Amino acid sequence: MLRENLISMPRCSRTGFSVLVTFGLAVMNLGCGNGPQAVFTYRPTTDDLISEANKAVTKTLTEDFGTPEKLVAWERFPINYGGVKGTVASTDGPAGSVTVSLEGDSAKISKNASLLWISGSQANGKSAETSVKGFNAETKTLQLASGAGAPSAGDRFVVGFGEDMQLGRVVYMKNCMHCHGVTGDGNGPTGKFLNPRPRDYRNGKFKFTSTQSQEKATRDDLHRIVQYGIPGTYMPSFLLLGERETTAVVEYIRWLAVRGEFEKRFVEELTNDYSQTAIKDSTDKAEKSYLEKKRNKEEAEKPLNLSKAIKAAGTAFKKYVDDKELDGAIEETANLLAAAWTQAETPEALVVPTSQRVEDTPESRERGRLLYMSNTTKCYTCHGPTGRGDGAATEDFWDKPGTNVKYPNRGLHDEWGNPLKPRNLTSGQYRGGRRPLDLFRRIRAGIKGTPMPAFGDTVLKEPQVWDIVNYVMSLPYQQKQPTAVKHPSETVANNEEKPAN
Amino acid sequence: MHWWFPGDGNAYSTLGGKIDDLFYLILVIVSVTFVGTSAALGYALWRGAAIKSDEKVWFSHGSHSLEVIWTIVPSAVLLFIALYQLDVWAEYRMKGFAKEKDGSPKVITVVAEVTARQFEWRIRYPANGKPLKPTPQPDDIYSVNELHVPTGGLVTITLRTDDVQHAFFVPMLRVKQDAVPGKMIPVWFDATMPGNYEMLCAELCGWGHYKMKAMLVAQSADDFEAWKDKASADQFDDGYRKPAE
Ligand SMILES: [Cu+2]
Repeated sequence: MLRENLISMPRCSRTGFSVLVTFGLAVMNLGCGNGPQAVFTYRPTTDDLISEANKAVTKTLTEDFGTPEKLVAWERFPINYGGVKGTVASTDGPAGSVTVSLEGDSAKISKNASLLWISGSQANGKSAETSVKGFNAETKTLQLASGAGAPSAGDRFVVGFGEDMQLGRVVYMKNCMHCHGVTGDGNGPTGKFLNPRPRDYRNGKFKFTSTQSQEKATRDDLHRIVQYGIPGTYMPSFLLLGERETTAVVEYIRWLAVRGEFEKRFVEELTNDYSQTAIKDSTDKAEKSYLEKKRNKEEAEKPLNLSKAIKAAGTAFKKYVDDKELDGAIEETANLLAAAWTQAETPEALVVPTSQRVEDTPESRERGRLLYMSNTTKCYTCHGPTGRGDGAATEDFWDKPGTNVKYPNRGLHDEWGNPLKPRNLTSGQYRGGRRPLDLFRRIRAGIKGTPMPAFGDTVLKEPQVWDIVNYVMSLPYQQKQPTAVKHPSETVANNEEKPAN
Repeated sequence: MHWWFPGDGNAYSTLGGKIDDLFYLILVIVSVTFVGTSAALGYALWRGAAIKSDEKVWFSHGSHSLEVIWTIVPSAVLLFIALYQLDVWAEYRMKGFAKEKDGSPKVITVVAEVTARQFEWRIRYPANGKPLKPTPQPDDIYSVNELHVPTGGLVTITLRTDDVQHAFFVPMLRVKQDAVPGKMIPVWFDATMPGNYEMLCAELCGWGHYKMKAMLVAQSADDFEAWKDKASADQFDDGYRKPAE
């Protein structure tokens, strides 16, 4: 019922996508011996839920997103899983073949491709999943495999559903999984040796984007990062990956981000009432106040002990499920994510300057410098008065967000809890790209998940942003002159002049 | 004939053909030696088996003349190879430094600085009409995993590495040079035909070594300049587009 409403293509929702299984298994078992089986792991907050809630969450995730070997494509989200959709135009042709009208590139239809009925009499029957025997692009005749049943005109279908998703998974497993992990949690086998740590996609956030501060990343942003890498980090360039592979892996990463954020938000809904930590906290509190009251000789009722409280929460959870509130939470989370990722692809989400870059003159740089040192922007507090990333903020102890517990180490941290150095602006390395446009976007929309704020268009006017861009872009060349790195031939002479220590 | 060489088998640099010739020469010498020694060994075994047990044995061990022969013959062969390849080696590693015929120092224009790092190639070019400086300049042009070079003449790149040892390898041009930490190594080569050539790391540099594949794009001098202009325009894009009227 509600399940059905969750999906724009009801037939294709959960069970239907077992078609996606076939390929990945064979590929992942190649290589040196059989590695550990690829599995999606869960967040610690998921593991902390009481068993009833935990089961509900893992069941939802497995049914709606599948496992690495058996992906499930939830059509609700704006992700190109791949495949060509079409409608049956007529069934007058010879037996076993139909004329169709396609909504995509007919060249993508290969022999023996899978075919899935989305609507019509076939969609809910045994023959909902079948395959294509052949396709004649001129007459638009689709030959169906035997036993495909008898579709009628107007029935909708999809050929080769999930092909891009499968390709994306293979590319990801070959090139990305090492650092970013199977789940996209940045915990791959090599991940823990890297500084900065690989991105954990499960917050649904990417740092370097072209969009406004509250928006998700666009496909183009991720495409750019896969192609050109992030200088100054261990994200290398995959320029020669090929267009099809890059596009496919970007969709797969978007899907991992959706899956991860779905889990995060869904579990956040349940944590307050159904996590073991929360229940323990409340029983401890109740116990404490009970003892307090008893000491004061007040009348008090003995509170439930922990195991009884967990049992009670389990019963409450059953009611929560029966009242369709769990389905409501799934629905709400999915809605929110689908809307956010769709919104990111709209032109309104982009940060685009409405004026040309202010001419890069000494005056403009000086105006930029004054803004940089001003208390309007406070750039200097992190990036330092000379732009070396050594501002006073790097010496302080900072609170963990949403708590009053301090991080054990000095300096700034990102949303993922990793220590974070403000960029040294004199190094000439720009992680999010070195175009003036990229710097403009960094200042306008900030860096997502980090303390780099979005100045928006109220604090700083556009020409002021350009002044700061001009100043920042001049830093690597201005400051380096006196202590510039010398060419090897020059350093030899230089060393001889140095007094011995 | 060259079907077993990289790409279509042909070397796309002037020196490449000579390197291939050297390879074949050495292959022939080694083959003759291998076949010859194997035949001699086989003959000795066969002859030895036929000797009657009551015949007197002849020991070759300690034979002065034999020792002299198998010392001098291989030495002569090695010396021949050493002398024969000298010219190619000099051309590959030294002639870039040599003076012009009139005694003036040879002018080397460096096309780009190629920096290997785990696990990619980052490349810095000077702006059109400017020489490459050892330190980054404001108008430098950057690319990653794609090295553009002009055809029709000797090209020099400065090779360096950010971390561990890597090796710059363009199989179809027969160019290979290690990148050593702390060193800036000039590498000369030319590309005789415009085209895209595979560019690899040929030194196991870590777990992601296999990811270090890149492309060498050889284009005519005009195309190269045009590419640099375009890359520079892209790099200094401020994102502002005049609204359509
Ligand atoms: Cu390498």
